[in-house]
Amino acid sequence: MNLGSLLTSSLSDTLQVSLPLFRPELCLAATVVLLLVCRMLPVVRWLDSAWIALGGAVFAAAYAWADLRGLPGSPWLPAATALNRHELFTGLLVFDPFTAYIRLLLAGFLLLYIPFTKISGIPGREEETDFHVLLLGAVLGMCLMASANHMLTVFMAVEMASVPSYALAGFLKGRKASSEAALKYAVYGAGAAGIMLYGISLLVGVLGSFHLPTMAARLSTVLAAGSTGGVTTALVLGGLMLAVGLAFKLSAVPFHFWCPDVFEGAAAEVGAFLSVASKAAAVALAVRLGCTLTAPPLADPAQLAGLADARFYGAHLVGLLAALSCTLGNLAAYGQTNIKRMLAYSTIAHAGYLMMGVAAAIALGGTDRAASRDAVAAVAFYLGAYLFMNLAAFAIVALLRNTLRSEEIAAYGGLIQSSPGVVVAMGLVLVSLIGLPPLAGFTAKFLVFASVAQAIALGVEKPLMIVLLAVGGLNTVFSLVYYLRVLGVMIFNPPPADRVNEPLPLVSLPGAFVTGLVAPVVVLGVFFAGLYACAQFAGGFAS
Amino acid sequence: MTGHSLLGAALPMVAAINWHSLFFLLFASLACGFALAVVFTTNVVRMALHLVLSLAATAGLFFLANAEFIGAMQLMIYVGGTLVLLVFGVMLTAQQPFVSIRTSARDQVLAGVAGAATLAVLLVAVLSVGRWGLPASGEVDAPTATPLGMALLGVRVDAAGGGHSGFLLPFEIVSVHLLVVLVGAAYLARAKRRRTPRPVDVLASADPPLAPRPAVAVPGGVTRGASRSALVGSGDAAGGGA
Repeated sequence: MNLGSLLTSSLSDTLQVSLPLFRPELCLAATVVLLLVCRMLPVVRWLDSAWIALGGAVFAAAYAWADLRGLPGSPWLPAATALNRHELFTGLLVFDPFTAYIRLLLAGFLLLYIPFTKISGIPGREEETDFHVLLLGAVLGMCLMASANHMLTVFMAVEMASVPSYALAGFLKGRKASSEAALKYAVYGAGAAGIMLYGISLLVGVLGSFHLPTMAARLSTVLAAGSTGGVTTALVLGGLMLAVGLAFKLSAVPFHFWCPDVFEGAAAEVGAFLSVASKAAAVALAVRLGCTLTAPPLADPAQLAGLADARFYGAHLVGLLAALSCTLGNLAAYGQTNIKRMLAYSTIAHAGYLMMGVAAAIALGGTDRAASRDAVAAVAFYLGAYLFMNLAAFAIVALLRNTLRSEEIAAYGGLIQSSPGVVVAMGLVLVSLIGLPPLAGFTAKFLVFASVAQAIALGVEKPLMIVLLAVGGLNTVFSLVYYLRVLGVMIFNPPPADRVNEPLPLVSLPGAFVTGLVAPVVVLGVFFAGLYACAQFAGGFAS
Repeated sequence: MTGHSLLGAALPMVAAINWHSLFFLLFASLACGFALAVVFTTNVVRMALHLVLSLAATAGLFFLANAEFIGAMQLMIYVGGTLVLLVFGVMLTAQQPFVSIRTSARDQVLAGVAGAATLAVLLVAVLSVGRWGLPASGEVDAPTATPLGMALLGVRVDAAGGGHSGFLLPFEIVSVHLLVVLVGAAYLARAKRRRTPRPVDVLASADPPLAPRPAVAVPGGVTRGASRSALVGSGDAAGGGA
């Protein structure tokens, strides 16, 4: 094969296969450049950068939507005859239903988030270009996290998502808490990235490949050959260190220390970004790594059998992190007086619930591929519901801050008298976060617990799954108290003396926005079939 | 006569030396020694200098492993670029409390225990691997600059059979990332006074006023600390902003 034909094949692969399926990311990258160019041109300088960013997000979402719809086997098209799996850029990325779903979720998040920041007014007129550049840059990295198929992309995507987030955490310049949060986040993140990189180098060194499906194939032969020297030790250690990096992004216990401080120090808007988008991408990456390394798509039975130990290890590692995050997150949320800090611990607890689904998906990968797909679908659905609930919670906190001048729970006393609408909205969001019917949070949590129960019924890693189910159930009861306490303060406490008349009237732009965010929380609790069909389609990536 | 015989005796000895191992030991000990020096020095400027030397010795290790390209990059980027910037940043901004950094004894013990434990675990794991995985095609020549450049453009001339990834995507997407990060760093380092108040500026629960610092805002201008910290970048500047 001479150089000319190599170049031609590479060019045609890039232009005809990879780039068309990479359009949402290209839109985001182009918008970043456009934002900066528009600041330089006097003609368009008056243009609000939020609208440019929103325009880019609309294009990204439209392409992501078209990609999801256009895949054979999606809810709109007949079932696929072949596997929906395209490797892009010579194997660095993979495009499959899961990629398409998460990308649509992230683009949809941008569509809601940019108007939210516009309404709440945190990136002011002078700094909004910087804010939107950082935001879109981070989301670009998150899209890559969801579609990573190569260890190089995994690391690069995690960094691309993290580094702009550090700057966003310190966005409120001149506030000590904000700068402290940014520094803490950056130092912690750098440490976690270093550990993760070392873990990746151990895994890659032992397995001799960066490409995830190839790594899984080699892992299968290495494990099937039995323990030769310290190879198993290196693999276990590498997997553990890789998990440390992921756990940091997920803010899973015991790598959660940054989370409450960053959420408290940074603006509520940034907290919303970190707790929704960042978490969705981290969960997607955990699913991707967990499922591809322990039960790769198109694996033959012999290969699957060889990976049994890897599944055992992966399921137990993720399950342990899940149980710890859930319990500690919920218990620590009790004593909080600051609403952002409380929501940070709630985020940690929800990461735990999500990881239970991931653990079930990994464990089921070897015995029942269909059940494993259902577990991934449950996680994907949870992410969809979580987007609305948590964004709504942070939106209410940010909009109330603008009028109440406080983010303490105590300041919410007596809100029922002055603005009953916002109390109802907050009530719906909090009850959905607890996971009570008939709201979206219930359906999501039910699906995740159902996949764990499915694993118990099939006898896969039974002790672990029983523990997870028990921990999950107990934690739902724990969480009842602190979520309802906020509601209790809003209803039963007397209002503070300096209360303004109506902090957040529903008939206003902020009020309408909150209503628009809370409506899906209610609707998805009842009419969940559409989102679940998409989630199930996304879960089908595993085989 | 004597000199001739001495040379005759020395030549086989010189030939018997494994130069590769010798240089490996030399560069490895230099890298480790200067790394330890970074840890145990208290003066910031000296720390930066030791870091330069340690990273340069690492570049030597890369050259020994036939990875000239990475070695050259290590020298150019770390030794040449990043660290010179770091040294300048440190020298321009180092103020009294930051010139010498002392760690408390408790922290030193904790860090020592944690570091030693991690090192022990890693050494056991790494040394016990009998055979590291190699690319399937067996012994692969370390690629030199041309194949590397081609790989960065997405064409793997060294592994024409396929199955190896080209690096076009990372090469291109990292440029977007660097642009974004540069914007972030510029934002954090910029010391511009706000014209309009933010919603949080009037927060009742906002921070208590910062402790009095020598660098207080000059009315209508830029704080002294902030303009200095613009050189170092995000971390310090975030604290020193207007």
